[in-house]
Amino acid sequence: MRYPILFVVLSFLFLLVGCYDRIELEKQSYVVVIGVDKTDERGVYEFTYKISNPEVGSASVPNTPDEPAAEIVTVQGSDILSATYTANSIVSKRITLDQTKVIVTSEELARSEDFMRVIQSTSRSPQIRGDIQLVVTKEKAVDFLNNNEPLVETRPHKYYQFMLTRAIETGIIPKATLHRFFQITEGDADLFLGIYATTEMDNNEQHNEGIEDKYIAGEIPQQGGSPTQFMGSAVFKEGQMIDTIDGEETRLVHMLDKTLRMEEYIATIPDPILPEFFVSYDYSQKKEPVINIDYYPNKPTEINVHVKFQAEIIAVPSLIPYTQNLEYRKKLEEEIVKRLEDKTEAFIKKTQTEYKSDPFYWSLYIRKHFKDIKEYEKADWHKNIYPNAKINVTYELDTLEFGKMIDDSDLNEVRD
Amino acid sequence: MRIFSRQQNNNSTVSEKKIIGSLSSNIREMKQLFSYDINKDFSLRTLTTRFNKREACIFYYGSIVDGERINLHIIKPLLENEGDEVSNIVSIENIEKIKEYEKVVQNINSGKAILFIDGDTDAYAMDVANFQHRTIPTSENESVVKGPQDAFTESLDNNISLIRKQIHNNQLINEGVQIGIRSHDEVNLLYLKDLVNQELLDNIRKRIKELEVDNVRNIELLEQYIEERPYSLIPTILYSEKPDKAASYIEDGYIVLLMESSSACLIVPVTFWSFFHSPEDRYLRFFYGNFTRTIRFICLILSLLVSAAFVAITNYHSEMLPPDLLLAITGSRERVPFPLIMEILLMEIAFELIREAGLRIPNPLGPTIGIVGALILGQAAVEANIISPIIVIIVALSGLSSFALADLSINYMVRLMRFIFIMCAGFWGMLSLTAAFFLFFMYAASIKSFGVPFFSPLSPHYISTKDTVFRQFIKKEKFRPGYIRPKDLQKKR
Repeated sequence: MRYPILFVVLSFLFLLVGCYDRIELEKQSYVVVIGVDKTDERGVYEFTYKISNPEVGSASVPNTPDEPAAEIVTVQGSDILSATYTANSIVSKRITLDQTKVIVTSEELARSEDFMRVIQSTSRSPQIRGDIQLVVTKEKAVDFLNNNEPLVETRPHKYYQFMLTRAIETGIIPKATLHRFFQITEGDADLFLGIYATTEMDNNEQHNEGIEDKYIAGEIPQQGGSPTQFMGSAVFKEGQMIDTIDGEETRLVHMLDKTLRMEEYIATIPDPILPEFFVSYDYSQKKEPVINIDYYPNKPTEINVHVKFQAEIIAVPSLIPYTQNLEYRKKLEEEIVKRLEDKTEAFIKKTQTEYKSDPFYWSLYIRKHFKDIKEYEKADWHKNIYPNAKINVTYELDTLEFGKMIDDSDLNEVRD
Repeated sequence: MRIFSRQQNNNSTVSEKKIIGSLSSNIREMKQLFSYDINKDFSLRTLTTRFNKREACIFYYGSIVDGERINLHIIKPLLENEGDEVSNIVSIENIEKIKEYEKVVQNINSGKAILFIDGDTDAYAMDVANFQHRTIPTSENESVVKGPQDAFTESLDNNISLIRKQIHNNQLINEGVQIGIRSHDEVNLLYLKDLVNQELLDNIRKRIKELEVDNVRNIELLEQYIEERPYSLIPTILYSEKPDKAASYIEDGYIVLLMESSSACLIVPVTFWSFFHSPEDRYLRFFYGNFTRTIRFICLILSLLVSAAFVAITNYHSEMLPPDLLLAITGSRERVPFPLIMEILLMEIAFELIREAGLRIPNPLGPTIGIVGALILGQAAVEANIISPIIVIIVALSGLSSFALADLSINYMVRLMRFIFIMCAGFWGMLSLTAAFFLFFMYAASIKSFGVPFFSPLSPHYISTKDTVFRQFIKKEKFRPGYIRPKDLQKKR
C-alpha cells in the first residue's frame, strides 16, 4: 500500500517542477557576434547583436525566401545581458548568447577607462563562454559589423570560425579569449593582446616598407574580396588598451610565448648576397622556447630565452646556389637568425621603455621565486622587474631545408 | 474453494483404483474414464492372444500413436507368436507393467498403448508414441553466418538428440521433473552431473515442484512461472533456440530446461553478458569476434540513450551543440508544430508500430508494410512538416541499433527503457537523464538470477573466462564461470 502513495508523491514532484528551464531550439535567437560601443552618456553603451538566421544554408528548408544570413540589431543598455531584453522589442525570439564567438569593441571604448566596467559583466553570466575572442576595431563596432559582409562564407558563425582560426594559425593575430583577458588583467602583470581588425581602408599612408606582415589592420593594400582585415593586435595594459602592434610583432609574441600557439608562417628577408632580391622561408617552431628567469631582489632580473626553430627555403629569386655553396648557406643562416634577433631586440626594447610590461606572459616563470602572492605583488612586475630586466633572446636554426628541389634553374644556361 | 477441492478428491479416488482380473469390467472402466462414446480418437482393439488363448484389449489414442507399429509389433505377435509372457512376445522396445488406473491414464496421454489381458491384474504400457512435429529447422531468430545452423524443434527427443550430439559425455543427465496437477507435463533438466552446482540444481527442482498449477504447456510459460522478479523489466532467464548455445552453457556448468512442446530451451542462471553475447562471437576469430562485440555495445548504448540524449541536449543544453548542427536543427524545426519531445515520441511509437505490424502481418502482405512505413516515417512526415528530418535520423538510428541486440528479452528491455529515458530527459535534461541512467544501472547491478549477480564476473569479480564486453583469446579461457560455482572450475590446463 505504501508504494502507490510514494508513486503519486513522486509524480507530483515531476509535474510540479518538471520541464523547468526547458526551451525549444526554434524559440531562441543565436547571437554570433556582440558589438560594444561608447555613447555620449557615461554608463550607457551601444550594443550590437549579430543574430544568425538558421534557415539560411539549411538544406532541409528548401523554399526559404531571400532572407539574409544574419540580422543586426543595435540597442542601448548598461550591460550585455540586460540589453538583450531591450533588443527583444525588435527581435522576435529569446536572445541567447550561448553560441557567441566574438565580442567586438571599438578602439574608442577599449582605450577608455570604462572598458573594464562593461566587459566585467561577461565573466558573471554562465551564458557567455570563456573562449569568446575579443576583437578591437578601429571604427565603431556597429560600423564594423554592418560593413563586414563576407562574400563567400555568408553565414556569420562560419566566417568568424574560419577567419579567426586561420589567422591565429599564421600568427598575425593572437588568440584573445575573454578567459585570457581576465587571467592576465587580474594577474597584474604582462600585457593582454586583443585581435585588431577593421573594415576601414587606410588609403592615405604609404606602407612601402611593409612586406607580408608589417601591417596593422586597414593598412594592407587590397583589391577585391571582403573589406574586413584582421591584422595585428591591440595591446591592453591593466584592462585598458594602450597601443597597437603589427602582424610581425604579433608573430614575435607567438614565438616567445609558451601559452600561444602558431603553426608556421612564411617570411621574407633580403637576400644576403644580392640585397635587391628577397629570400622566402617557411618558419616553424616544433619545440617551445626555453625561458630562464633569474630573479635578483637588488639587481636587474635576467631573462634568457632560447628559441629553436626550423626553416624551409621556399623561393630564391636571386638564383644564388645556396644549396651547393657552404659559405653562402652559412651566410643565409646567419642572416635569418640575425634578422630575427634584431627585430626581437627592438620589440623588447619598445615593450620595456614604452609599455613597461611584456606581452609574452613571462611573469609565469618568475612566480616560483616568491614565497607568497603578497611578496610577488610587492616586487611589482610592471614597475620594477620587467622594465629593468636584462633580456637576452637567442635564436637557433635547428634545421634548414630547401624544399623538394635542390638546385634552381641556371639562368645563364636557360638564356644562351 | 470447497468445490475445487471436492473435484480434486473425486479425481483422486478414480485414479487410485486398481486394475482387476476381469477384462470386461476393465474395458467398462476404461470406456468411462476416457469417455469412449464421445471421444472420437480414443481407440480400442480386442483380440484373442495365441500364447494363452485369452481375450485381450488394447487402448490408445489413435492420433498420437504410430498405427503401423501397433499392428506390426503388438497385434501381429500377440495373434501369431507362442511364448510364456507378454514381454517375450511383443517386439516393442519399451514395455512396462502397471497396476493402477492413474498410471494407465498418464501413459495413454503420453502416447502409449495399454494392453489388458483377461485374468491378468497387470496392464502393459507399450511405447508407440508418434507426436507430430516439424523437422529440424534452420535457426531464424538467432541466425548466425558462421556456426551451426540447426535449431530446436517442438519435439523433446529431437531436442535432446541435438544436444547429446554435441556433448558426448556420460555425465550429461536428462532429468525429468513432473509439473502440473491436471495434465502431467514434464520439464527436462539437462546438466553435467560432475560439474553442476548441486545447490542451484536443488533450487530449480524445488521451484518447479512447488508450482501448483493445472498445467504448464511449454517452456515460454514456464519461464514466467519460475523467474524471481516477474515485474522487473530485466530478464533473468535466457531463452534460446540454438542447441549449440545450450550445449556451450551446459559445458560451463549451467542448467538447460527443455519441454516437449517448445522449440527452444531455457538456460539458468544468467548474467547480463549471456544476453549480450551471441554464439557467433566465439566462432569468429579473436579480432573479428571482438569487433562484433564493439559494434553491439555501441548499438546497446545508442539504442538506450541516443533519443533521450538528443531530447536532453536540444531542450536544455543548446550550448553543447556545435553551431552548424544547432542551426541545422533549428532551421528544420521552424515549421514543426510539436515540441521536440513529442516529435521523438511520435516517431518512436511509429517505429514500434511498424515493427509490431511487420511481425503480425501475414507473409504475402509483408512488402506493404515496408512501403507504407517508409513513406509515412520517412518522406511524407517530413514534407508535411509534422516532424523534422533530423528526428528521422535519430529514431532510425536507435531503432536500427535495437535490432543488433538479438536476444528478445534484452531487446524489449532496451526498447522500454528507451521510453523511460526519453521521458526523464524531458524533465530536467541531462541531469535527470544521468540520474535515471544511474538508478537503472544500480538496479540492474542489484538483480540476481538464481543467486548470480547480474553483472558478474565484471562486478562483483569472479574467476571466469573474463568473457564480458570483450572476449579473450580462446586458448586463454582456462576457467569456467566462478559465479555459478561449478564442481570443477578449470576447463583447460
